[in-house]
Amino acid sequence: MLEIKDLRASVEEDGKEILKGISLTVKPGEVHAIMGPNGSGKSTLANVIAGRDDYEVTGGSISLNGEDILEMDPDERAHEGVFMAFQYPVEIPGVSNTYFLRAAVNARLKAKGKDEIDAMSFMKMIRDKIKLLDLPQELLSRSVNEGFSGGEKKRNEIFQMAVLEPEVCVLDETDSGLDIDALKTVSDGVNALRSPDRMFVVVTHYQRLLEHIVPDFVHILMDGKIVKSGGKELALELEKHGYGWLEEELAASN
Amino acid sequence: MSSAVLTYPSDISSVLDAAKPVTVPSPWLDDLRAKGRESFLEQGLPTMKQEEWKYLSLRDIASRSWSASEPGPAVFDFDLPYVCPGSIRVQIVNGQFDRNASQVPAVKGLYVGSLASALSDHKAIVEEHLGSLASIDSHPFAALNTALFHDGVFIYLSRAAMIEPIIEIVHVACGSDQVSAPRVLVVAEEGASAKIVERYITDGETTSLTIPVTEAVIAQNACVEHIRVQDESTEACHIGLWESKQEGSSEYKAYNVAFGGKVARLDQNMSFTGEHSVARLDGVTAAGGTQIIDNHTRLDHAVPNCNSFEIYKQVVDGKATVVFNGKIFVHLDAQKTDAVQTNQTLLLSPDATINSKPQLEIFADDVKCTHGATVGQLEKDQLFYLMQRGINREEAEGLLVYAFAAEVLELISIDEVRDDLEARLYLKLN
Ligand SMILES: Nc1ncnc2c1ncn2[C@@H]1O[C@H](COP(=O)(O)OP(=O)(O)O)[C@@H](O)[C@H]1O
Ligand SMILES: [Mg+2]
Repeated sequence: MLEIKDLRASVEEDGKEILKGISLTVKPGEVHAIMGPNGSGKSTLANVIAGRDDYEVTGGSISLNGEDILEMDPDERAHEGVFMAFQYPVEIPGVSNTYFLRAAVNARLKAKGKDEIDAMSFMKMIRDKIKLLDLPQELLSRSVNEGFSGGEKKRNEIFQMAVLEPEVCVLDETDSGLDIDALKTVSDGVNALRSPDRMFVVVTHYQRLLEHIVPDFVHILMDGKIVKSGGKELALELEKHGYGWLEEELAASN
Repeated sequence: MSSAVLTYPSDISSVLDAAKPVTVPSPWLDDLRAKGRESFLEQGLPTMKQEEWKYLSLRDIASRSWSASEPGPAVFDFDLPYVCPGSIRVQIVNGQFDRNASQVPAVKGLYVGSLASALSDHKAIVEEHLGSLASIDSHPFAALNTALFHDGVFIYLSRAAMIEPIIEIVHVACGSDQVSAPRVLVVAEEGASAKIVERYITDGETTSLTIPVTEAVIAQNACVEHIRVQDESTEACHIGLWESKQEGSSEYKAYNVAFGGKVARLDQNMSFTGEHSVARLDGVTAAGGTQIIDNHTRLDHAVPNCNSFEIYKQVVDGKATVVFNGKIFVHLDAQKTDAVQTNQTLLLSPDATINSKPQLEIFADDVKCTHGATVGQLEKDQLFYLMQRGINREEAEGLLVYAFAAEVLELISIDEVRDDLEARLYLKLN
């Protein structure tokens, strides 16, 4: 179970507060969608969960299965099962995708005290999984994300997720910049990973992704706070009326 | 800066008195060596007042009492870095060709052997080329080499010879406070091709001074790949000159890999004398601790229609200092020159220093010349991405540094050499 309690975070550099008290509990098997306008703090939330040190956590807590993860480095969080599909996957020229993936898989195995995977089984495993995402095999021998199209980068994130089989999957706007076919492929990839013990936090700007990855809960984030939570119908409502509707409703209730 | 730092006692010239005679008597060589001696005495040790030597303190070299090197052992208690299966192996110890330790099978069209012997066996060719390129009057250490060398290696590729086995030369410096002056002469005749790996190492943590000079004469249509690896101990000093000349339609790819040395410097001068030639001069430098590694390159486009590509990458850690000075001269006649120079530095510590100075002087008007220099640190975003996938910080940093250098290492066409250098770089960084 992922438990976020009254989380506050600011930008390390200038001290500007972005997350202003967020609480969220994700139980195994659940998919939680986080929606919100641009600049509301969605990516910040995802990055703080993953441990990016550009942000300082000034209050609250994040625990995974009862264990505090805030003191952990990003790699240690990854070993605990935290995975983030980046909104803007970074290009790493000179590091081959295959080498990188193998290092990542082995790092997790090592952290669990297990033996490294042998080269043959590893290659077979990644070849099988890359097919699921409909990515060309030759991307494996290229450098990480280098020269990938926007859509390929997003699919590559989900491909990595399929390879690493994490417990907590945080998807940051994986749908933006995808055409309808790619959206379906990505969603199928994500849905194939849904299981009773896996948790998903799906950050999106649009409702359309949630037609494919159907969430159990939808939370609306505005100005660093969750202002409304509900079931999957909340996303539809939001799509129909826009964020303005919500602002008015909130103003009226205050 | 106080003048005490800027002038040195000219102690080192005492090694001149100990200069060894050449085993094969050669008045021609005596004459060349005398010129070297004269030139060195005239120049003395360069000081930091001189523009070209501005960043390189030779105080350490000037303050030790050096002796001319003695012949070293043939067998070492470590494996010599020959990495290519079936290669031609040349072992040079303290500047002297070691026949027994070398493996030089007969290959059609190829001569590889002792430079001293070649002075009598291949008199005409050696006398034509040896000393013809090395600019001793602007490089005191090359002058000193010329005064001192008594052997070395001669590589001769005869007309249209396509040499398959890789030629691996390993220079070992041993004995403390000894100066060794290895000399290498490569002559590739018209249409010949070969791949040469030239390495400089030391016997353990020895405090030696190696002052090598390599000359490469590349004739028309010849094609040579030449990798120079300086991986001496961080107690050793190394100051070398590497000079080449290319006739028309030739290709010379010269890679300079510099990992070792307490104080290390290489001047690499390349020139075109014939049209439609291509040169590569690329470098990878990795320095840590208190190392000083100084690379000066100079490309002379003296004729039209030649292309040169230069990528220098340096990784600087600890309190190390790296210098890059890259000159490209495009002479008045050298129209349609295409010259690209890139110089990139990765600083891994706040105390590391880089002095980078690209210097393009273009006198022709119809040319394409570009240069760019960047200095950066490891990209935080890349580091976070790797760590988010579970790779620990140390390994992630190693991967990124390696990736930075890989752009140059991957140009090397010999798999075994590339793999070996990647492994050495990795070791060096950890
Ligand atoms: N590293 C950062 N440095 C400075 N400002 C930041 C940084 N990260 C986020 N912000 C600011 O925080 C706010 C929320 O950003 P973000 O979390 O990316 O929003 P969203 O993903 O919802 O569009 C924005 O105003 C953004 O400019
Ligand atoms: Mg965002």
